[in-house]
Amino acid sequence: MFPPALDINWLALTPPLVLLFTAAAGLFFALFQSNGRSTAVLSLVGLVTAAVFTLVLFQDGRAGAGSAAFGLHYLADLPAAAFQLLIILGTVIAVLVSYDYLERTGLDHPEYYPLMLLSATGGMVMSAAGDLITLLLGLEITSLAVYVLSAWRQGARESEEAGMKYFLLGAFASAVLIYGIALTYGATGHFVYAEVVAAVTAPGFQSLLLATLGGLLLVAGLGFKASMVPFHQWAPDVYTGAPTAVTTFMSVVVKTAAFAALLRVASTILPELSPVVLELFVWIVGLTMIVGNLAAYVQRGVKRMLAYSAVAHAGYLGLAVLAVDSGGLQAATWYLLAYTLMTAGAFAVLTLLGDRFDHGDDLERFAGLSRTRPMLAAAMAIFMLSLAGIPPLAGFAGKVMVFGAALQAGYFLLAVIGILTSVVAAAYYFRVIAFMYFREPAYGAPRYRSAFTSTAVVLAAVGTVLLGLFPGLWYGLLESGARVVAGL
Amino acid sequence: MLGTLVVPLGAALLVAFLPARAARAVAGAAAVTTFIAALLMPADAFLSLPWIDGLGITFSLGSAGAASVLVLAAALAMVPAVIWAALQVEERNASFLALLLAMQGFLNGVFLAKDLVLFYVFWDATLIASLLLLGGWGLERRREATAKYLAYALAGSFLMLVAILALRPLSGADSYLIGDLLEATPALPPNTQMWLFAAFAVAFAVKMPMLPLHSWLVDFHDQNHPSGAADVAGTLYKVGAFGFFAWAIPLLPAAAERWSPLLIALSAVTALYAAIIAARQEDLKRLLAYASLSHMGIAGVGVFALELTGSNGAMYLLAAQMLTTGGLFLLAGMLHARSGTYLLAAYGGLARSAPALAAITLFVLFASIGVPGLANFPGEFLSLLGAFQASVTAGVVAVCAVIAAGVYGVNLYQRIYQGRAEFRASDLRAAEVVVLMPILAGILWLGLTPAPQLERIEVQSRVALESSTGETAGNPPAGITATLQEEKR
Repeated sequence: MFPPALDINWLALTPPLVLLFTAAAGLFFALFQSNGRSTAVLSLVGLVTAAVFTLVLFQDGRAGAGSAAFGLHYLADLPAAAFQLLIILGTVIAVLVSYDYLERTGLDHPEYYPLMLLSATGGMVMSAAGDLITLLLGLEITSLAVYVLSAWRQGARESEEAGMKYFLLGAFASAVLIYGIALTYGATGHFVYAEVVAAVTAPGFQSLLLATLGGLLLVAGLGFKASMVPFHQWAPDVYTGAPTAVTTFMSVVVKTAAFAALLRVASTILPELSPVVLELFVWIVGLTMIVGNLAAYVQRGVKRMLAYSAVAHAGYLGLAVLAVDSGGLQAATWYLLAYTLMTAGAFAVLTLLGDRFDHGDDLERFAGLSRTRPMLAAAMAIFMLSLAGIPPLAGFAGKVMVFGAALQAGYFLLAVIGILTSVVAAAYYFRVIAFMYFREPAYGAPRYRSAFTSTAVVLAAVGTVLLGLFPGLWYGLLESGARVVAGL
Repeated sequence: MLGTLVVPLGAALLVAFLPARAARAVAGAAAVTTFIAALLMPADAFLSLPWIDGLGITFSLGSAGAASVLVLAAALAMVPAVIWAALQVEERNASFLALLLAMQGFLNGVFLAKDLVLFYVFWDATLIASLLLLGGWGLERRREATAKYLAYALAGSFLMLVAILALRPLSGADSYLIGDLLEATPALPPNTQMWLFAAFAVAFAVKMPMLPLHSWLVDFHDQNHPSGAADVAGTLYKVGAFGFFAWAIPLLPAAAERWSPLLIALSAVTALYAAIIAARQEDLKRLLAYASLSHMGIAGVGVFALELTGSNGAMYLLAAQMLTTGGLFLLAGMLHARSGTYLLAAYGGLARSAPALAAITLFVLFASIGVPGLANFPGEFLSLLGAFQASVTAGVVAVCAVIAAGVYGVNLYQRIYQGRAEFRASDLRAAEVVVLMPILAGILWLGLTPAPQLERIEVQSRVALESSTGETAGNPPAGITATLQEEKR
C-alpha cells in the first residue's frame, strides 16, 4: 500500500506496538483464565515496557531528533512521546484501581485488561498521528474498546445504558469526524497535516468554503471525544453509568488522547483553514468552562460532579489549545499530567467508598471520612484542592500556565471567564472537603481497603503535591516541544 | 529568613502526625523558635531560587522593609496563641496546632515574597489554613461562616490571579520579580492599570476588610473556636493593607492615584461605621471583630493617602494590631473559659474577683484604642496624619472613628469588669500570665520604641511611593520620628 520508498521507523512505533502485543497476549491468556489476575500483571509489565521505549523517544525528542515512522503520517516527536507517557501513567493508575475493584464488584473477567490496553494503544496512535487517517484509526481503536468497557457490568441497567449511549453517540461523532476529514481532503487533496497546511496557504487556493466546513466538522468530532460543550452531553451519563474503575480510565486516558489530537490539529490546520473555525473554537472553550462548572456545581453525586468537572477541565485545556503558539503546548501537556493525577486519584478514592454494586457516590458517603479514614480523606482533600486550583498543588501551577499562555496569546476575556468559573469550581470541590472534615460520619467507615488502589491513590497524591511544589520537573523537560510542532 | 518559613511549616507537618502530648511540646517550641528566627532575621536578606523557569516565576524572598517588622510582630503574637491553643483546644489538638503553625508559615511567606506569583501562592495557602481552622473547630453555624468566607476570599483572590498573570504579557516584564515588574508595569497605560488595580483591590479589600466586602469577617470571628486562638490567626491574616502597600500601589501607580480618593473614603467610612456598630454589640467577640474592622479602616486611610507618613503608619498599625487585637481575642477566650459565654450581659463587676485580669485587659484595651506610649498609637497617629494630607474630610471621619473606639473600649471594660452585676470568677492563673506576657511585652516594645521599626518600614514606603510620583517622597526618616516624639510629649 505504501510507496516502496517509505522508510518505516520501527523504533518510533514501539510504544503502541508493545501495548498491542501485550493486549493480544492477554486476550490469548484470557482463554485459559477465570479471573483477571494474570492479565492485570501482564498488562502492568507491558505498560512498563512501553514506558521505557517511550522514554527513549522522549529523550530523542528532547535532543531535537523528532523522528517519524511512516513519513509524516506517524510522528514520534517530543509532544507525542509526552502524551504517550501520560497515557501510560493514566492506564497504570486505572489498572491498579481496577485490580480489586473488579473482584469486589464481581466483574473480574480476564478480557478486561487487554481491552484497556487496546484502548490505550489507540490513544498512543492518536497522540502521534501526523495525518487525518491515522488520527481516525487511533480514535476508533480507542473508542471501540471503551464502548465495551463502559458496559462491563452486564445486567446493570445504568452500565448497559452507558455503553449503548456512548457507542451510539460515539459512532455519530466518528461519522462527523469522517465527514470533516473527507471535506478537508476534498478541499486540499491531502490528509497529512503539513501538506494540508501547505495546500491551504498556497497562493490561489480556491476551496476555502469546503475547507472551513471540514474544519468545523473536525472540531465537532474531536470536541466530542474531549467532551467539550455542546458535544459533552454523553459524558456525565457515561461516566456515571460505567463502572468507576472504567470511568477512571476514560476520564484521563481518553481525554489525554483527544487533546493530543486536538492540539496537533489546532496547532497546524485549524488556524490556516479559516478564522471562522478558530472563532467557533473560542466560543466552545468559553462555553465549556461555564457550562461544565455550573453543571458540576448543582450535582449531589460526587461521581457526576467529577464527570462535569472533567468537562470543565476540558475547557481549561481548550484554552491551552488556543494558545498553542505562546507556550500552550507545554501548558497543555503539563495540565494533562496534573489532571491525570488528580482526577484519577479522586476516582480511585471513589471506588473505595461504594458498596458491592458500586452504588453510593452521594456526598453523604464522604461525611466524617476524616475521622474514619484520615489518610484517605487527606488524599481526597489534596485532589479536591488541586482540582480547585489552590496553591501550592499541581492544579494551581497548571492553571497559572494555562491562563498565562492564554493571556500571552491575547485571550483576555477567556482567561477571565476561566478564573471566574474557577471560583464556582472551588465551591463544589470544597463541598466534598467540608463533608469529610466538618461533618459526623453517616455510614461508618468504608468497608474496603485495597493495597493496589491505595498504591494508586498514594502515587497520585504524592505526584500532585510534588508537581505543585516543583513544576519545573515536567515543564522544563518539554521546552523544545513547541519548536518541534511548529517545525512540522 | 528562610527559618521563619521552614520552622513553622516543618513543625506543622511534624505536629500533625505526633501524639497529643509531643505535639504540644513541638508546637510550642516551634513557635518560640520561629520568633527567635524572626528576631535574628537581617533587615536586608534576599534569596532567589529558580522555580518555574519557563514562565519567569521564581522562589524569591526578601526581608527588607515592612516585611521584617510584620514577620516579627506576627511571630510574637503567635507564641501565646500556640501555647493557649495547646492548653485550651481539647478536640484534635494536634491538628489544630498544626494548622496554626502552617498559617504562620504561609503568612510569613506573604510578607516576605518578592515574586508576585509566590506571593499569591502564600496568599491562598493562608486562606486554606484559616478555613480549616474555622470549619473544623468552629461553633454551630460554622458551615455558613466558612462558605461565606470562602466565597468572598476566593472570588477576590482569583480576580487577583488574572491581574497577576496579565501583568507580565501586558507590561513585557522579564519575570514576576518585584524589581523586574517595577521597571515595566508603571509604564502601562492608565486605563489598563485601572482594570488591573481594580482586580487587585477586590482581593485586598476583602482581606482588609473594607466596606462593602467586610461581612464575612464578623461571622468568621463569631463562629471560630471559643479559645480565641484561631481568631489570633485570623487577625494576623488581615494583610489586605499590606497587599496594597507592597504590590498594587507601587506596581500600578497611575491607577493608585486615580482610585485613591474612592479607597480612602471607603476606608474612612469603614473605620467609623465599624466603630459605631462595635459600640452597640452585645456579644464580646462580635464587638472585637467590628473593632478590628475599624482599625483596618484607619490603616486603609494611611495607605491610600499615598504619602510617606501615612504608609509608614499603616504598616506600623498592622504590626501593632496583630498584638493588640490578637491579645484581646485571647483575653476574650480566657473570659469564655470562665463563663462559657461571650454575651456581655452575663458579665459585670469582674474586677473585684479578678483584678489582674481586669488590669491586663485594660492595658491591652488602652493599647488598642490608641493611647500614646502603647502599640497602636504611632501607627494610628501617622495614618491619620497621612489621611489629613490627602483629604481633610477623610481625616476627620477617621478621627471620629478613633473617638468612637474610645467609647466602645471604655464601654466594654465597664460592662465586664465594673457595674452593679456581680460576676465572680477566678483570677489569672500562672499559665495564663505566661501566655499573655509576650503580648504585653510586644505592646510596650512597639509603643515605646517606634523609631527603628518605622525606619525599616520607610525603606519600602519610599520605593512604593517613588514609583508613583517619580520623585523623592515626603520627609526624611529622622523628620518623621522627630514629629512622633514631639506628639508623644
